[in-house]
Amino acid sequence: MRLSLVATVFGKEWREIGSNRLLLAAVAAPAVIFAAIPIAIVGFIEVNDLDVNQLGQIAVMLAAFPDLPPKLAAQGFIVTNFMAYFLLIPAMVPIAIASQSVIGERQARSLEPQLATPIEVSELLAGKTIAAALPAVLATWAVWVAYGLINGAIADPRLLRMVFSPQWFVAMATLVPLICVLSVLLGVIVSSRVGDPRTAQQFGAFVVLPIIAVAVAQFLGGQATFSMSQVLVGDLVVIGLIGALLAIGSWAFDREQILTRLG
Amino acid sequence: MIAVEGLERRFGIVTALRDVSFTVRAGQIYGLLGPNGAGKTTTVRILAGLIAPSTGRVRVADFELGRDNAQIRSLTGILTESPGLHDRLTARQNLTYYGRLYGLTDAALRAAVHRYLAVVGLTDAADRRVGGYSKGMRQRVAIARALLHEPRVIYLDEPTSALDPEAAKSIRELVASLRDEGRSIVLCTHNLDEAERVCDRIGILNGRLLAEGTPAELRRRGRAAATRVALDGGSVDASALAATLGSLPFVRNARAEGGDLWVELVEPRRDTPELVRELVTRGARVLAVAEDVASLEQVYLELVGERGERDPEGARAA
Repeated sequence: MRLSLVATVFGKEWREIGSNRLLLAAVAAPAVIFAAIPIAIVGFIEVNDLDVNQLGQIAVMLAAFPDLPPKLAAQGFIVTNFMAYFLLIPAMVPIAIASQSVIGERQARSLEPQLATPIEVSELLAGKTIAAALPAVLATWAVWVAYGLINGAIADPRLLRMVFSPQWFVAMATLVPLICVLSVLLGVIVSSRVGDPRTAQQFGAFVVLPIIAVAVAQFLGGQATFSMSQVLVGDLVVIGLIGALLAIGSWAFDREQILTRLG
Repeated sequence: MIAVEGLERRFGIVTALRDVSFTVRAGQIYGLLGPNGAGKTTTVRILAGLIAPSTGRVRVADFELGRDNAQIRSLTGILTESPGLHDRLTARQNLTYYGRLYGLTDAALRAAVHRYLAVVGLTDAADRRVGGYSKGMRQRVAIARALLHEPRVIYLDEPTSALDPEAAKSIRELVASLRDEGRSIVLCTHNLDEAERVCDRIGILNGRLLAEGTPAELRRRGRAAATRVALDGGSVDASALAATLGSLPFVRNARAEGGDLWVELVEPRRDTPELVRELVTRGARVLAVAEDVASLEQVYLELVGERGERDPEGARAA
């Protein structure tokens, strides 16, 4: 694989994404929302000096952080528990960008002239995948950092350690990019079959719903956040799904199939 | 430069191309004519290494299709049926992107982009997004894109279809100049007049190659060409003269019509001077001689299934 050509495709895609304000808003909106809600709750508890016993699940929260005072334990539980939703950003954003990119190219009939150049299909798809995945990875990282810093600032510096925990460093470095790749692959495969980016994006539910299910199960089970072993299992599951999608969609990455089905 | 032998392509149970063979030399423009669905785009896609033939052999320059597709794509420029531009990029950004994909870098890339923006007359609009361009401007960007890397083999699918007459003329002149530089060009078109004016050889395709030759050869194909001889009415009786011409060995048939003679010669280019000499010997005063041949359009329509009428406007001075 020639990295210079991958970089060329990436640069072109990046430029196109950057010029599409609607798409940028679609990238930014979930990131801001997922961060803003728990920050607001933590801030509300802090500012109103809320009696944490009024909060539902308080026993569970206190049990999760037995060494902390009740108020901070409640804030810590909310801060860490909501972080599972950060995984929705790499699930939702890349599929939106990838489907927009593939279906946009399909509608503009711009795949054929690209495939007529010496570029290999793998190089073209690698450039597109990185371009679709990178905004989500960067947005997730940015929100994670901002989230930790804001919560630490408005409530208690000890929240910083909860947000920037070893398992979340690993999750951000591995799970987030892997979910992005899974989302892009799903976007490319689905986009080869449907003609509307919105329809393709609806298939993102296949990635989004399991993450929501995990987050809800985690909350109901009284677990504040993922353990390191859960993060690593998550990595393996996503790698397996990526392998399955590559096998299922191998036809979608063939030059002739791209031309006759997509071009 | 391009040698196609026994090309066949099937899509499931549909055979899009069957036993197509032709060659295009360096410095030659080969026109592919045919109705929609005739297989022109499929042929070009195969030749450009985009899709594989079901059977058959294609050599482009010294490269074998199927084995050397990457090399073939490197030396090939293609204008696709639809311009296929990236609307959010400017013309310059579009060309720069493709220049990089073709391996151009730095100063060579900038020079090529600058040159071909000027060639297609888009220097002033180069930094506007192509999404706001007219159809003709988009087509010109796509033409520049096909030529950017100085390909030795060029495939042009309807290059002048969206252009106004002035722009179309300049593109035809550009194509002719590319031929003069020794490039091999395959031109797919529905514009028979353009094919006749620009192409050195033409293949009429409808799933298989129905006919092939120079435009002149195709016009003469399939019917006896009649030579019209305009006579000074006072010199001889045209009907009587026509009756005597039938005995000449190089005359197949002769008749008088409106004071003119219509003579079917065995080989018009060879026999016309002999005919004129005979007529003069027999006292006729010859005002004009013209070979009445079918237009390319008539030949095309006959070959692809419609009956074409002989067009008197198609007569060419001998």
